[in-house]
Amino acid sequence: MKHFNIPGRSLVATVFVAALMTSTAPAFADFWSDAAKDLQGATIRGISESTPPSNYVKDVLAPQFTEKTGITVEFEATSWDQMYDKAIKDMEANTGIYDFVYIEQDIIYSYLARDFLVNLTDMLAENESLKSPDFDATKFTTFIDNFKNADGDIFGVPMEAFVKVYLYRKDLFEDPAVQAAYKEKTGADLKPATTHAEYRQIAQFFTEHAQANGMEMWGTTVQASSGHPASVYEFIESVLPTYGVYNWGIDTTTFAASVENGGKMNSDVAKEALAWWVGNLEFAPPESTSSTWDEVAATFAAGRAAQGLVYGENAAWIATNPDKSTVVGKVGVALPPVAEGVMDQAKSGEGYIGYYDGGAFGIPHSSKNKEAALLFLQYIGEESVQADWALAGSRIVHQATYADPKIVEQDAKVDGYYTLMKDQGPLFRGAPPFPFHNQAREAMAPFIYQAITGELQPAEALDKAAAAVDAELKNLGYRK
Amino acid sequence: MRSSTVGWLFLAPTLVILFIFGVLPFLYVLVIGFTQWNSFAADPTMQYNGVENFRRLVFDEQFLYSLWLTLKFGFFAVTSQILLGYFLAQLFMRDFPGKGFFRTIHTLPLVIAPIAVGATWRLMLVPGLGPIPYYLRQWFGYDLNISRYVDQAFLATVVMDVWHWTPLVTLTMLAALASLPKEPFEQAQIDGANRFQIFWHVTLPLLKPAILATVFIRLMDALRTVDEVWMLTGGGPGAATRYIGLHIWRVVFPKTDYGYGSSMSLITLYLTIVMCWLLYAGLVARRDLKRVD
Repeated sequence: MKHFNIPGRSLVATVFVAALMTSTAPAFADFWSDAAKDLQGATIRGISESTPPSNYVKDVLAPQFTEKTGITVEFEATSWDQMYDKAIKDMEANTGIYDFVYIEQDIIYSYLARDFLVNLTDMLAENESLKSPDFDATKFTTFIDNFKNADGDIFGVPMEAFVKVYLYRKDLFEDPAVQAAYKEKTGADLKPATTHAEYRQIAQFFTEHAQANGMEMWGTTVQASSGHPASVYEFIESVLPTYGVYNWGIDTTTFAASVENGGKMNSDVAKEALAWWVGNLEFAPPESTSSTWDEVAATFAAGRAAQGLVYGENAAWIATNPDKSTVVGKVGVALPPVAEGVMDQAKSGEGYIGYYDGGAFGIPHSSKNKEAALLFLQYIGEESVQADWALAGSRIVHQATYADPKIVEQDAKVDGYYTLMKDQGPLFRGAPPFPFHNQAREAMAPFIYQAITGELQPAEALDKAAAAVDAELKNLGYRK
Repeated sequence: MRSSTVGWLFLAPTLVILFIFGVLPFLYVLVIGFTQWNSFAADPTMQYNGVENFRRLVFDEQFLYSLWLTLKFGFFAVTSQILLGYFLAQLFMRDFPGKGFFRTIHTLPLVIAPIAVGATWRLMLVPGLGPIPYYLRQWFGYDLNISRYVDQAFLATVVMDVWHWTPLVTLTMLAALASLPKEPFEQAQIDGANRFQIFWHVTLPLLKPAILATVFIRLMDALRTVDEVWMLTGGGPGAATRYIGLHIWRVVFPKTDYGYGSSMSLITLYLTIVMCWLLYAGLVARRDLKRVD
């Protein structure tokens, strides 16, 4: 009897407490419904690149926010080119189509130079009722510093951050038969490359090994689209730094690119770097010359490359999602290979070894729903939503996310990618603070493309690229 | 109400739309073409700079290369379409089993959006993974890689354009052939002309207006091609398929060089008009002059 009475009493008590809570609900309404009471029914529009983290915002966070606030979020996840195209035109023409826009780390300096973005620090200070008690800028990783001005004011709420890492096929690298074949062929032990020469040697070995064994596999990925800026980015942000040429080879004080003007874009070291990178194409799958960041990830996930430099946003799904990847459980993560002395420079803060990528959402001055957008940005910046978002998109922007049990569990499945990002993240760096980011990139791009196709030799391509950037920056008024 | 007033009233909506969406943007581009305006320059404001943009264009190797490439593309694409379209039209003039089905199938590319055409061809030709390069390598050992070999990329864009637009030429030719009078052909046969002589001295002159109109339409289309090629090659490899439309897009949008890009657009428009006029003068005006003589 007693055995049955206790649950019965509990049930009554539970119902009583629930009824009490329901009856007092208006007095304890959460921040979101209170803050949004004057904004209910509003619609905010945002635009971003279609990536795993952005798609999570569109599919999960935006509907959650709507449920809590009554504010509808229309989220446009489109191609990288279109995203910039639309956002810049909207902000420039002051049309107010978008209430929040994706700000990639490398474009923030251009946007700030044009005063496109709302100062979020000021806006939060001026609108106490819109300040979420759970939004705390100090909880973010140092990546948020990329979106601050000289006074420390925030212009974007980080939504993704990752490092471009060296992925390799751990199963093959640890296969005793493969190791023996490698040792026999090269006289060296098979392990993730730490130098460019080792990387090339491994690439050559696996290409030949695959051919000999009838496998559709090559030694390396190369993000070498011969008509898309992705290839320029891989060279200037992921390859040049590993040779010790930083900031694209452009002097950050004089904005000179060519050696004769004081830059390093066409220095001997830069030419060596381009020759190495283009040379890797010999050991890369045929699709490499049409590969952007997405195709490189797809190539690796399809098991068509033994190693490669891959954007971290793809690391988790490549290593864990069997619906999209054929190499689940076979992925190793390491730091990119570097030239002698570069690692020391990176550790001392003088240099860096690769690209720390990511982005934030900011509110354009042209927005017609700034208050609603401010609420949304705080919602996606809360600590409570970070872990699941990280699982979906391999991105971490909060310090606490690293210790979340879900992330710790996934970290083991992606060979310690998150640990690497946390511990070695300072070795990587975002794009240089150029207000002419796209313009300089477009000036040099045709010559990098021609180096990929072999129309120009690497040295000639960089001489022309540096001259073109110098001319462009002079034309834009940044150089005398 | 006078009939001319009624006519203008009927025309008014069209004229207003044409003015807003055609004339006004053109005037805007015309003004910007004479300015230096890059929103990410040290000074992002629009500044009048006379004919400086046009002076730069004369020495701009990339612009001139794009222009030359576009003319080359237009020549090969339009010539191929006219020849192929004529032969297909002749084929459809005859009776053969399945003619109706084949004619319907052959016009399908016309109803596909250019961006979808580009995407389809990209899927078929993507290096290493597309079925065409894959089987060419498997069966013939041929390395087809349109993102690496410039000639292959150029040829691929021409073939794609021919595939997409030849049906239009075929339909035009078919209509023209069907409307030709029978008498001149009967007369030529009675006079003992052979098939080539009939083609050269009767069919071709009678078809000339239709051919000319088709060449004008296709040439103007070919000179402003963007979307198909954008999807297929993105203008690459290198600058191998960076036709003038794509080049202007790159200057205006990623580089945000509105002034310089506008001057490129104006020059391209001017050249297109001049080229069409020359073509018209060469093929039609000369004939009219002969008649006057």
